[in-house]
Amino acid sequence: MKRSTRIFLFIAVALVALVAGLALHPLSRDPVAVTPPGLLDTPLESMDGGKQPLGTWKGKVLVVNFWATWCAPCRKEIPEFIRMQERLGPQGLQFVGIAIDEKDKVAPYLREVGVNYPVLVGELDAVELSRSLGNELGALPFTVVVDRTGKVVHSVLGATSEAQLEPVLRALY
Amino acid sequence: MILRLFLLCLALGAAGPAAAGQSDLLSPQQAFRMSAQLARKDEVVVRYDIAPGYYLYRDKLKFVAEPAAVVLGAPRTPKPGVHEDEFFGRVEIYRGALVIRVPVKVPAGTERFTLIVRSQGCADAGVCYTPQQQQVVLGPTPGAAEAGSSGSLVDSLGGAAPDKR
Repeated sequence: MKRSTRIFLFIAVALVALVAGLALHPLSRDPVAVTPPGLLDTPLESMDGGKQPLGTWKGKVLVVNFWATWCAPCRKEIPEFIRMQERLGPQGLQFVGIAIDEKDKVAPYLREVGVNYPVLVGELDAVELSRSLGNELGALPFTVVVDRTGKVVHSVLGATSEAQLEPVLRALY
Repeated sequence: MILRLFLLCLALGAAGPAAAGQSDLLSPQQAFRMSAQLARKDEVVVRYDIAPGYYLYRDKLKFVAEPAAVVLGAPRTPKPGVHEDEFFGRVEIYRGALVIRVPVKVPAGTERFTLIVRSQGCADAGVCYTPQQQQVVLGPTPGAAEAGSSGSLVDSLGGAAPDKR
């Protein structure tokens, strides 16, 4: 092999490997899934003014999404959640949104995009719940997957997607 | 040999982008460092040192003084940058160094007062922080102060801040 060809081959292999390595790297952004005590019992305000804990939906595979109307990356993923709820709801999947926001901003948005799953609202209590789930920075969006027994099995900081959630959920039905 | 090189680079690549990790996202206090100074007896200068890759929304900046006898005028903010947002359209934001001048009327005999600044920002990495509140205690004579205490919505709601949304 000519020297120049060998150098070229070396560089090409190095680049391919580097890119592959980048792609394989697990997203270390995601906090470790933790199940805080009392997760299902913490009451949060519902859109109709009552109080509801996440335990309302115990027995289903829960996807709990912390979001806000002022959070652009949150708005990006919500249409995918709506589609997933419609498609996988009959199999026992239940999305629950927790808006760290004001009710009068949340309500028009839910109508506008046609959110087809329950949304609870909170301030201090919701931020604390999110922190107890491993979201140390209190950043949004933040999503956790809870299995049918109430155990948190997956958590994502930043926008997630159907493609990312589906393999996690499939194991839980 | 080539296989060894491949494996080495693969490992390097895999170790590299920890930059996207939660541990590498700055806390809001680090991302949006704030200090304030009573530049003149009737003007507070608030400075933000916004970390690269982070930005603050202009319309979410709110200033309150305690006690309420200390009256703040309309903040003078510099020309903002524009962030083209997929959902919100053109949004006015600040990056890097930000200096805001806030007119203030401090009644005679006031020993010191607290300036409370609320802000809200995001990271280009694709997360937004819950509204932050930072406080600075300022004396009657001009001088500088670092943000004395700062916190997220949690602290602001727990405190006695008049601006609770």
